[in-house]
Amino acid sequence: MLTIGRAQISVSRWQLGYESRIKFWGIMFILPTVLFFLIFKYGPMIWAIYLSFTGYDIVTEPRYIGLSNYLSIFKDPIFLQALNNTLVYIVGSTMAITVLGLGLALLINTGIKASRFFMSSMFLTNIMPILAVCLVWRFLFHPHGLVNQFLSPLGLGRIDWLTNSSLALPAIMIVTAWRFAPYFMVVFLAGLLAVPKELYEAADIDGATSVSRFFRITLPMISPIVFFVVVVSALLCARIFLMPFIITGGGPGGATRVLSMLIYETGFSYLKMGRAAAISVILFLIMLVFTILQIRIFSKTEEY
Amino acid sequence: MEKSGKKEGAPKAAGTKVTRRSFLKGVGALGLGLAAAPSMDRLAFAQPKGPLKLSFWTWQNPQQHTWIQKRVKMFMEKNKGIQVDWQYFTFTDLGKKISVGYATGTAPEGFATGTWLMPTWLSRNMIAPMDIKRLGYSSLQNFMNDYPKAFVDGAVKDGKVYGYPVYVYGFLNYLNTNHFKEAKLDPEKDQPKTWEELGQVAKKLAIKKGNKFERQGFKFAMHAPMWTMVQFNPILLQCGGSWFDKSGKCTINSDAGVRAMTIRASIIRQYQAEDPADTIATSPLPMMDFLKERVSMFSTHCIPLPAVKSQNEKMAAEGYYRPVQMPGVDPNKRYPTAYGFNFVVNVNASKEKQEALHDLYRFIMSDLVDCWKDTGPFTPARKSGWADDPQVKNYPHIDEIIKARDNGALLPETPVFNELADIVHQAVQKVTLENADIKKALDEAAAQVDKATEEFKTKK
Repeated sequence: MLTIGRAQISVSRWQLGYESRIKFWGIMFILPTVLFFLIFKYGPMIWAIYLSFTGYDIVTEPRYIGLSNYLSIFKDPIFLQALNNTLVYIVGSTMAITVLGLGLALLINTGIKASRFFMSSMFLTNIMPILAVCLVWRFLFHPHGLVNQFLSPLGLGRIDWLTNSSLALPAIMIVTAWRFAPYFMVVFLAGLLAVPKELYEAADIDGATSVSRFFRITLPMISPIVFFVVVVSALLCARIFLMPFIITGGGPGGATRVLSMLIYETGFSYLKMGRAAAISVILFLIMLVFTILQIRIFSKTEEY
Repeated sequence: MEKSGKKEGAPKAAGTKVTRRSFLKGVGALGLGLAAAPSMDRLAFAQPKGPLKLSFWTWQNPQQHTWIQKRVKMFMEKNKGIQVDWQYFTFTDLGKKISVGYATGTAPEGFATGTWLMPTWLSRNMIAPMDIKRLGYSSLQNFMNDYPKAFVDGAVKDGKVYGYPVYVYGFLNYLNTNHFKEAKLDPEKDQPKTWEELGQVAKKLAIKKGNKFERQGFKFAMHAPMWTMVQFNPILLQCGGSWFDKSGKCTINSDAGVRAMTIRASIIRQYQAEDPADTIATSPLPMMDFLKERVSMFSTHCIPLPAVKSQNEKMAAEGYYRPVQMPGVDPNKRYPTAYGFNFVVNVNASKEKQEALHDLYRFIMSDLVDCWKDTGPFTPARKSGWADDPQVKNYPHIDEIIKARDNGALLPETPVFNELADIVHQAVQKVTLENADIKKALDEAAAQVDKATEEFKTKK
């Protein structure tokens, strides 16, 4: 018996068959999630796409202006700089996360002493509050901070990590890799443990070196995991906001301003919501490319 | 509550017999009341009302927000029917939080705003005109006369008042007098009166070992666009420059602008008395390095004693610091940027809430001696009602503080202030951190500001 207000509806009275009842309750169970997605995910997305074709300053009603926002942002040097920063950051950070994550996983997989301890302590970087991470790294990258102190024996002198426009973005990539590589190390480790030991035994009998074992057995066997890590970390990096926002504030001179920061500033500081929506649609398209890649890779994985 | 209040009163009225004598008494009392009303301008407050819930946001400052909180609490005790949901946010975040609030329909009914943001709210009709009579003024002229003219001009549009001034203060150059003595300089006689002198004195005060400053001579704050604007504004104006011409075109790339930016960068480039990379990377508090004696001179708003005490007890106890006027291009025309805060009312607030906010604002600012006691040396915006108090008069260097406030130049009034500040901040970063070409950096900045202005005009 289903009671809605005064109406009492008896499901059984509808003479629903078993199949229909299963469907009915199935729909009822997924309805809250569907509604959640429609209202809080797809609704705002569609609204943002609509806003990107309008001039909207938050207070007055949105005014339709066609493609004006899109045409003007592609001529805007600030947007182009932020787009370039975002792409460079995605590529650089993804490479760093993948190489470092895989390297750490291989190291742990060799069965070094206290590997579990190292794994747990490295994973801590992932659960530390992002705000604390950013503030600590700000001090580490200080001209007279610990990073430069460690590098001083190499005779590198003072490096202005956060105030040199060529170094500020790489510095943020280092923080990103430090934070996320241990997380993906666990993913890689799961992949490495799944590689059949017989393959390595056969390679040993054939006299394969450890390098050729890595390139001819390990890497091909975990290639779906590598693709997964690349795509997921690229998606993660595309949305990055807090790290550049807190560590450099987008500076020096806009050298670390990424698209998500530009969206925030344009929308909430400059009150240009239509323009901010257009930039967010472009960021969405960039992320869509990676998502399609991810879907394709997963389809291939099944074939694998 | 108002309605129920009327209901409670109704039976009493019905039960009272109105005679000719009592009617005449009533008229007489009303006449006396009206006659007395103008002289009670500041004393009369609205009757308690409610139940009403007001949301009210202000900026964060240990002294100021604590005092506002105290006054809000007192207001609620006097007006039992009104509950004020008061929150505070950091100085730089407040404006953005309010914008987000407007975007999401969660903006507070009343809020404090930096005066430099008034054009942003006004040009978009986001704030409501205020009833000056309810604020205790009999006329607009009386209201205008009660505040520094330049400051109150920004709160008045088309003969209507949109902001109730709270504080206004000017920047000062704080000197560490011990450092001066160490460098065989007299803080009084050798205080820098021009920017050139500032560089020379800063160079004498700075202590450098290798590529590391043990002590910087002077430093400009580099942590926020707003501070960049406050510090660059007087230099630009003193050089004869302006932010915009009459047509609204940005003119910071003029010869005067280039000269101003050259002065701004000279402490680093010419006098090598400042390390901007160090400045930008540290200091959660802008004046921290000065209070920790890592810098000998620092330009900032007045520093309250508790702030000095919290960072450097010795400095607070021995008092070896003092504020002086900021340098000028001309030693006889030394002035800083002055800025302040207004209380404003959200245009979307109901009439009843708008009225209650007027009462709240008026109550908060009704005891300026108490304001000074709790928040001095931050100077209230109103001219009268506090400056003659002995506590104020005896405050160390109060003359310098008030002089900076009264002589200060306001920040540019533009509806694209946030963009202007971000763009100028980036230009300053390029020049000071990257040694970029000044003219080129300013040309780029001016073009970006013009673009922002154009977009505002075309409502993109």
